[in-house]
Amino acid sequence: MKDKRLVIYAVISVVLLLSPLFLNAYWVDVLNNVGLYTILALSLNIILGHAGLFHMGHAAFYALGAYTTAIINTTYHIPILWLLPVSGLVAGLAALVVARPIIHLRGDYLLIVTIGFVEIVRIALVNNVFGITGGSNGIFGINRPILFGWKINKPWEFFYLIWGFAAVTIFLFNRLENSRFGRALNFLREDDVAAEGSGINTAHYKLIAFVIGAFWAGMVGNIFAAKMTIIAPESFNFWESVVLFMIVLLGGRGSIRGVILGAFLVLGLPEIFRQFATARMLIFGAFMVAMMIFRTEGILPPLPRKYPIAKMLGREGSA
Amino acid sequence: MKKILFLALALCLMAGTAVAADTIKIGLMAPLTGAWASEGQDMQQIVELLADEINMAGGINGQKIEIVTEDDGGDPRTAALAAQRLSTQGLVAVIGTYGSAVTEASQGIYDEAGLIQVANGSTAIRLSEKGLNYFMRTCPRDDEQGLVAYKALKNGGYKSIAILHDNSSYAKGLADEAKTLLEKDGANIVFYDALTPKENDYSAILTKMKAANPDVVFFTGYYGEAGLLLRQKMEMNWNVPFLGGDATNNPDLVKIAGKEAAAGFMFLSPPVPQDLNSKEAMAFMTAYKKKYNAEPGSVWAVLSGDGLRVVAEAIKATGSTDQDKLVAYMKNDLDNFPGLTGQISFNDKGDRVGDLYRVYKVSADGKFMLQP
Amino acid sequence: MELFIQQLTNGLAVGGIYALIALGYTMVYGVLKLINFAHGDLFTIGAYLGLTLLTTLGLTNYLGPFGVVIVLALMVMGLVAIVGAALERVAYRPLRQSHRLSAVVSALGASIFFQNAVMLIYGARYKVYPHDILPRTAIHIFGLDIPLIRLLMLLTSIVMMIGLYLFIQRTKIGTAIRAAAIDQGAAKLMGINVDRVIMIVFLIGPALGGAAGLMVGLYYGQINFTMGWLYGLKAFTAAILGGIGNIPGAMVGGLLLGVIEAMGAAYISIAWKDAIAFCVLIIILIVRPTGLLGERVAEKI
Repeated sequence: MKDKRLVIYAVISVVLLLSPLFLNAYWVDVLNNVGLYTILALSLNIILGHAGLFHMGHAAFYALGAYTTAIINTTYHIPILWLLPVSGLVAGLAALVVARPIIHLRGDYLLIVTIGFVEIVRIALVNNVFGITGGSNGIFGINRPILFGWKINKPWEFFYLIWGFAAVTIFLFNRLENSRFGRALNFLREDDVAAEGSGINTAHYKLIAFVIGAFWAGMVGNIFAAKMTIIAPESFNFWESVVLFMIVLLGGRGSIRGVILGAFLVLGLPEIFRQFATARMLIFGAFMVAMMIFRTEGILPPLPRKYPIAKMLGREGSA
Repeated sequence: MKKILFLALALCLMAGTAVAADTIKIGLMAPLTGAWASEGQDMQQIVELLADEINMAGGINGQKIEIVTEDDGGDPRTAALAAQRLSTQGLVAVIGTYGSAVTEASQGIYDEAGLIQVANGSTAIRLSEKGLNYFMRTCPRDDEQGLVAYKALKNGGYKSIAILHDNSSYAKGLADEAKTLLEKDGANIVFYDALTPKENDYSAILTKMKAANPDVVFFTGYYGEAGLLLRQKMEMNWNVPFLGGDATNNPDLVKIAGKEAAAGFMFLSPPVPQDLNSKEAMAFMTAYKKKYNAEPGSVWAVLSGDGLRVVAEAIKATGSTDQDKLVAYMKNDLDNFPGLTGQISFNDKGDRVGDLYRVYKVSADGKFMLQP
Repeated sequence: MELFIQQLTNGLAVGGIYALIALGYTMVYGVLKLINFAHGDLFTIGAYLGLTLLTTLGLTNYLGPFGVVIVLALMVMGLVAIVGAALERVAYRPLRQSHRLSAVVSALGASIFFQNAVMLIYGARYKVYPHDILPRTAIHIFGLDIPLIRLLMLLTSIVMMIGLYLFIQRTKIGTAIRAAAIDQGAAKLMGINVDRVIMIVFLIGPALGGAAGLMVGLYYGQINFTMGWLYGLKAFTAAILGGIGNIPGAMVGGLLLGVIEAMGAAYISIAWKDAIAFCVLIIILIVRPTGLLGERVAEKI
């Protein structure tokens, strides 16, 4: 069973890896968007899927990362990819400051506070806060990233940058999921009080989850800024946060493969439905409802955690 | 499994877009969904109407034109995708789009693809200051309108002026432009702030503005908000004159405000075909009314029609669909082409030249009257 | 001072509408613990149905202005209630046993669906109510001009809210709703038909939202297909501010949010008004984590 799944994953990866060879620039760019949202949604998945915190303001951290990159790059001309960790740090730091006082709020109250946060960030950007965000015009003239002397410019070049980043993200987050930390998060998601009782400092863990998610979203903001070369507040409105929220839940909370599939569906379907012109979003909405009705826990919910004791014992026995 | 299906489906769809070589394909990028859907759908109607007319008359140099429409959703990310999609379909040119930020997200993509873009509603100054060879627009720029607004306010003899915008890239640009000019001239700006678009109740803003006691209010935002402002202003019994920017030029303004409240409202705009007695404008109005049984909405949608007509003219005159030749023709040789919105010529930056703006005033029975 | 009172009335009028929509959120949340993101779009549907009925039925020929409004309101409320109940049946009932966030995605999908359905049916342009339905007189008190309609609007909201409150507190159905809100399982054991209770909630909540839509249409005149999203978000904020699940809380939250917005616009900055409102909300929630009137729920162990 496990081997079969591995084969499927390998086939999908290879097809994806080769796809720029037989897709035109438009579809490659669709895949780029899917890739960006995959990474974003995976970072939200840590907060929403694993820690179970209702967070509907993820676009705020994404925006902070993108604006950090844009501002520093256009004023000091520091190469884009050097700013990758800086963008992450700014977003992570913001998450730490913002989340500290609100982390204890119960589900839906946290939801509205995070919505409030993303709106405050957007309004601040629109109103040209500190005179550095360029108001509603946004910031333009952002450089293209240069990787080992290769200037990344064309959609297919971005494709490999983005999906390379996505692969690293998937690997790291998979490790995180199966670490002590990941298990602790799942525990406090299922039962906050019991987790606290078992000696897990829940507020601390929730906060770390928040900061990791925000850090990652900030880094995606960096790549987004470099890809678009212009960023404006509209790209980071509340609706973007809702889209990310939908990706995680549609795919399956806490499931990496589910989230990836969710990103493909939420970003890809409106493109496929383009042939329906003005009715495309109507069909998309109906599709979402139908999907949730038929797969109530998301399309690919996480597999139950398995602890292969037999194997472990067997290994000990043979030793 | 689903992902494989997805990819397979994607491939099928792409295969379906094979090119038929005997037509001239022209793209239209417009906000068919989202907040500006009314503009986008109007753009589509007008461009299709004009394309049909051209084809009925035998096409351009014997070749029919085919319009390929893509939805930009009125948002930059969707627009970038729409632009990628259009730039892979063997088009000669792309008409559109409406919002400046949306156009900006697509500019680079068209330029890299060497595809002509003729924007119709994007008035932000910087769009044509980047040195992009293939970018043109049939609408005027904000600095031109800022100047006209400044003149209109100055000629009105207003001493203290309130400026209200809606924080959109376009409206803020215009407000800033006018403010700078007015302040240089020593006018007193007693109020300068932004409202939140798409709300229904602006009474708090009007109350605050009234307290500042301006002689005139210059609102640079869109017609929906302008209509509500006028209506609620009347309810407050406040009789201050209002001047609007060109985004208020939409007959729906009067519907929203009501005739009584809209009367006396002035706005700046390029002339709409209704007010031109040129042969082209009159023929267009007749055809539009016949096909859609209504009057065209805003001037911006009509400007997309002009975009198509200009491109068609260039193809006809040069007998070629080579982008460089077409751009060179439109920038250098096209002179006072009779458009639906007056005569059209372009400068080297691709901007439309000429004194386009007129001042309009709403009459007591809700008609837009061109002021001399 | 005059200015202050004027802004206060401005805020209360807007707040009344927020409160009316917030009631729908709160009622649904109280029973199902579901944030019904499609509620804002039911409000939009109410506004559009009101316009259709008004222009096609020709009620103004038979009735005076207030008669028209009352008949119209009843019809709109009835129709939107049916849409609401259908929404519950199709999009939410199959998800009742699953994680409550799943239903949120379904609600978001329904919201996208409704919004685009309205666009496709009515077109994307602004729609405008006829101007001459309601008298446009202003009352002159304390040197202020307050349009009569504004006062009536606020009054209508308050009357509806009090009516709802009494219905929930005093009637048998209301008691059943409260019981289902506290513990669905126990309510079932006591012989309450929980399915029916939920259906009733999905009739009342959307009906109030539809009424709010009609009010907005009649008073402001201009409606468009995206307006539900903004009003919905504001109303949801109001419901949380007052303590979600709590009916007086929705009233207080709505009115308060309207006033905060008006005051923020008047005394700080118009462009920052929504940010100010959210800042106040966040501060209130930090101090009172379950909203102004929300009950402090002990953690279950």
